[in-house]
Amino acid sequence: MFDKLLAPHYLWWLWDGFLVTLAISFLTIVFATLLGFVLAIARQSRCKPLQMLVISYNAIFRYSPLLPQLFFWYFGIGNLLPLEFKLWLFDEPQIQLGFMVLKMPSFEFIIGLAALTFYSSAFIAEEFRAGILGVKVGQTQASLALGLTWWQTMRYVVLPQGFRIAFPPLIGQYMNVIKNSSLTMAIGVLELSYVSRQVETESLKTFQDFAVATFLYIVAIVIVGTLGNLYQTKRLQIRN
Amino acid sequence: MELKGVEVIWNNLDYLMWGNFPGGIALTLIMSVLAIIFSTILGILTGISLTVAKGVMRQLLVLILGFLRAIPIIMLIFWTYFLLPVLFNIDVPAIATVIFALSLVGAAYIAYSVYAGMMAIKPDQWQAAFSLGLTQRQVILYVILPQALKMMLPSFINQWVSLIKDTSLAYVVGVAEFTFVATQINNRSMVYPTEIFIFVILVYFVICWLLDFTVTRIAKR
Repeated sequence: MFDKLLAPHYLWWLWDGFLVTLAISFLTIVFATLLGFVLAIARQSRCKPLQMLVISYNAIFRYSPLLPQLFFWYFGIGNLLPLEFKLWLFDEPQIQLGFMVLKMPSFEFIIGLAALTFYSSAFIAEEFRAGILGVKVGQTQASLALGLTWWQTMRYVVLPQGFRIAFPPLIGQYMNVIKNSSLTMAIGVLELSYVSRQVETESLKTFQDFAVATFLYIVAIVIVGTLGNLYQTKRLQIRN
Repeated sequence: MELKGVEVIWNNLDYLMWGNFPGGIALTLIMSVLAIIFSTILGILTGISLTVAKGVMRQLLVLILGFLRAIPIIMLIFWTYFLLPVLFNIDVPAIATVIFALSLVGAAYIAYSVYAGMMAIKPDQWQAAFSLGLTQRQVILYVILPQALKMMLPSFINQWVSLIKDTSLAYVVGVAEFTFVATQINNRSMVYPTEIFIFVILVYFVICWLLDFTVTRIAKR
């Protein structure tokens, strides 16, 4: 019976992979939300060239697959980085952050994070934009008529309402980030999909291995969904 | 430097287009078309079932769709690629397993759009159609579905674009589609990765944009 199960050390491998998946997804979500927000604001500005720039950024990143983008960053931009920096990363330097010591992530992790962030930020920017567009024009006009500046109108009237509209699809995008993080296995980030392939080749217990990996992905997705729902019911209820 | 990269692409253009036939851009297009067709048909059927089915059957369906939407496509490709041959004891070509996986995922998303579209049709429409003496089948087929599909077209286009993009995932099981062929060329030359992958990204962009543009154009008429 027990020889049908995965040996415990394989489970630990998968767990480590899961932690990497969580780490890269979490960091991507943070950075992509910030960048997406900036892009959405820039898209609303009245400066035409800036608008065009954001439109083409969003179009290129949304209408091409993540995988070639990863290769572009890894082989293309990765090659342009100075060698000293890569060698420094290769030594796995420690960073002193006050009381705790952080291990610097691998080169692959950083590149994967960058690629995921740029890719996801385009989608997140579009969700923010849809949220902003969902706020009735009358709101903007009224607040401008009250003498608020464009920035104040954005800050106090449009964005708070737009965020509420954009929130549910935003959670969907965050789930996509977790799923998309699996592609970073192609450039050698040791996340869950990569590890599950490794375990598969070594243990030959295909079914058990993929079942555990799949289960962990579902757990991650359910966590994001639940947190999103909680936040929405607690904080974002429409107050009249 | 910039020009030499273009030269590498130009010299390998034939290989990028066709690979060792079938391969390259051609294979990407073939896989996209098949995945789009299968997933749309399956998605519409599942969407209708989601609207009509009740009780345990519906819960089972919701569970399966939830599963397909929650796991990364790479995991699903692994499942089909490594387990289909074991389960059925037949040799399934990698291309087929990828198309299979993509069709399932695409169908799961399209099913929910179809369902949302059918739910968004006013109840009056259903009632009016039923009171005219149409059977449930006729109501859905001739009254509800045409309106729902029209309404959900933008969401369909989104899904189709995603499917085209996701064919690049066939790379992980070694199918010689466009991304795979491009990495081969990159590994061979290894000097101009930036140019090669910018070219790849642009080609995908053009394909996806063309699909969006033509379908929107046709639908407007």
